[in-house]
Order: sequence, then structure tokens, then C-alpha cells
Amino acid sequence: MASTQALKGRIRSVKSTRQITKAMELVAASKMRRAQDATKLSAPYTLAARQLLTALSKHTSVKEHALFKKRPVKTRLMIVIASDKGLAGAYNANVVRLYANELVADDKAGIKNTTITIGRKAAQFVARLKDTEVLGSYQELPDRPGGREIHAIMDSTRHLFESGQVDAVDVLYTAFHSSIDQKATITRVLPAGFEPAEEPGVAPDVVYEPSAEEVLNGVAYRLVGAQIFQALLEARASEHSMRMLAMKNATDNASDLIDDLTLEMNKARQSAITQELAEISGGVEAMNE
Amino acid sequence: MHLQLITLQGVRVDQKIYELIAPTADGEIAIFPGHEPLVTLAIPGALAVRHEKADRDEQLEYFAISGGVVEVNPNAIRVLVDEADHGDDIVEAESRAALERALQMRDEAKDSIELDQARQLVDRHMVRLRVADLRRRQRR
Repeated sequence: MASTQALKGRIRSVKSTRQITKAMELVAASKMRRAQDATKLSAPYTLAARQLLTALSKHTSVKEHALFKKRPVKTRLMIVIASDKGLAGAYNANVVRLYANELVADDKAGIKNTTITIGRKAAQFVARLKDTEVLGSYQELPDRPGGREIHAIMDSTRHLFESGQVDAVDVLYTAFHSSIDQKATITRVLPAGFEPAEEPGVAPDVVYEPSAEEVLNGVAYRLVGAQIFQALLEARASEHSMRMLAMKNATDNASDLIDDLTLEMNKARQSAITQELAEISGGVEAMNE
Repeated sequence: MHLQLITLQGVRVDQKIYELIAPTADGEIAIFPGHEPLVTLAIPGALAVRHEKADRDEQLEYFAISGGVVEVNPNAIRVLVDEADHGDDIVEAESRAALERALQMRDEAKDSIELDQARQLVDRHMVRLRVADLRRRQRR
């Protein structure tokens, strides 16, 4: 049996670990709440863009627009969203696994693959691969992303798509369904899909300036941007809730470990006392004889 | 006339106003109640809001906006932009420093993605500086 001293030391160290994981859990919980609220904020923007698009589709052919045109996929761009930091349970592992599967599928289908990564963990994984060409990696995006973070990504994506260098653009991120349900998901953002909104919200005799085509250009671009932005927000919310859960588990494990170690330490102390008593009474017996 | 300023971070303005001055591809346009239905593209610049008819120019409320879409109906305006910063939130010195950093980044960019990123930053901070400038003139 280990000595009481050694056990005491271990209990102390597990306790301080528990303190840290507990603190990380609380931090992640508060960040998660904020990130969760943020995922809902871009909804009015998306709705307004879709309404505009619906109104526009009566004046000009939306399906013929460069961003909506479907063509055979020979090259594909994937935007992979992972986190900068670890200790978030299976968050990064799930994203990376889905990504690796997609790469294998592309390889079999003879599709050339290119990648843009968001988050250090994604960049680290992709850097070791030979099957894909990395166009850029973004790291250390702020906790509350604004529209400008995606501008650069959007502009290069649009340029690649319009110039025909890539035929499809997918975003790979962790969809946030609820604080206990998140799933690594892949969504196609280009060529853009278009579902008409029920109410256009725009008068039918409206004037488009400079022209319907140019307005369509601007609206389509914004709608695609909003989609990527939404993916980024959901990925953030998922990251924080998975980190919270992972840290909660770690805290619980540490508590269990402390209980076990405390029990063992008490046993060790008791057996030391018993042994000492036995020695004393043995000594007394010997003197009496 | 009702104004809604919608950004990716949510609805920033949702209230009655008298006049809106918006930067568009064809120059600045001022929109008053009863304007004919119009959809036009906004370019990065300063968006100005006059709340009451009697408000003087000094009382205009400014926003630095990134590009977007302006949708005008006779008694409602919807402005769809990626980002809008309120004039009061912009610190001129900070923006100036940020612009310089962005210019430097643009000159040192190694690939097209970095260049795109730097150009965006330069545009953004130029707009912010212009709004800060407008605000300063107001206070005089």
C-alpha cells in the first residue's frame, strides 16, 4: 500500500487539476451562451436577402447568374472550420474525420481538391496532407466575428468560382442544433441554391439601380456570405458547448479520483495505526512475561 | 418613414426617421418619405440618418457601413449591409493607426488571399475615418 504522504500529494495535485477544469467549464459555458445568441442574429439578414432575391427573380433570370450556375464538378474548394484551441472533446476530431472522408471520396471520383482552413487545428491537420492544395488559412478570428472576417474569404471564394478555377464550394463545420447536440456537417454554398421566400417584401413596380443584374450580383454575394458567416457562428457555438461538456466530464472524473484516493489514504492511515497498536500490545505482553 | 438597418450581427436600427442619406454606386442619394420604390446597391461609406424634419445637419446620426443593398418603399427603407459601426463608437486615432497597419499589410502581402484581406481592411478603415471626420466637423 502506498504511503499516506504520497497519497496526500496525489490528492492535492488532482484537486488543483479539478479547479482548472472547473474554471474552464465555466468560461466555456458563458462563451457558449453568447455564441448561441449570436447564431440567431443573422436570421433577419438572410430573410431580407432571400426576399430581395425572390423579387429579383421576376425581373431577371436568377438561375443563369454566375454564382448560381451548376456545372460538372472537376475541382472543389472546401472551407474547413475548426477551432484554434484544443481541449474541446471530439470537436476537432469530428471535423477532421469528415474532412478526411471527403478527401478520399474526391480522390476516388477524380476531383481535384483545394482547401481554405479556419482555425489553427484545421491548419495543422491540412499541412500534413498531400491530397489537397491549401489556398489560405485563417487563425485567431475574434470571439464575436463581424462581417469583415468573412469578406476576404468570400472575395477569394467568389473569384475562384467565377473564374472557373473551382466548380463547387463546400463549407465543412459543426452544426449547432442544441447545447447537447452538435454534428459535423458539410453544406454546399456555391453554386448557390435558391428557395423563393413566401413574401417578396418589395413592391412589384420597383426600380433597380444601376440594373437588376447588378443588384442581383450584390444580393447573391451577400446571401452566400451570410451562409458562410452562419456556419462560422454555429461552429463557434458548437466549439464552446463541446468544450464545456468535455471540461464538465474532466471535473467529474477528477472528483471521482479524489474520492478513491481519499478512501485509499484513510485505509492506509488506519492500517498504520492498527499496526502500531499491535506492536505496542505485543511489547506489553512481552514485558509481562 | 420606417428605417431598418440590418447587419449580419442583427438589426441595428428599427425606427421612424425623416430622411436617409446613403452612399450608392451612382453617388449619394437622399431618401425622403414617399420616394418611389427603388432597390440599389450601397457602397462602403457614411450612412446619415435625420430623425425629425426640423433636425439640423449637426444632429444627423452617422453609421460607417460596408457595401450592401438599399431597398426603398414609399414609407419604409430596408438597408442590408454586412457591417455598420455607429459614428459614436469610432475612435479616430485607433482607426488611423489601423489604417496604417492595413496599408502596410497590403504592401507586404504574400499571396492573393492576404492581399484581399488587406484591401478589405484598408477600405473599412478609410470609411471609418471619413465618418469620424464628419462627426468632428459637426461638433465645431
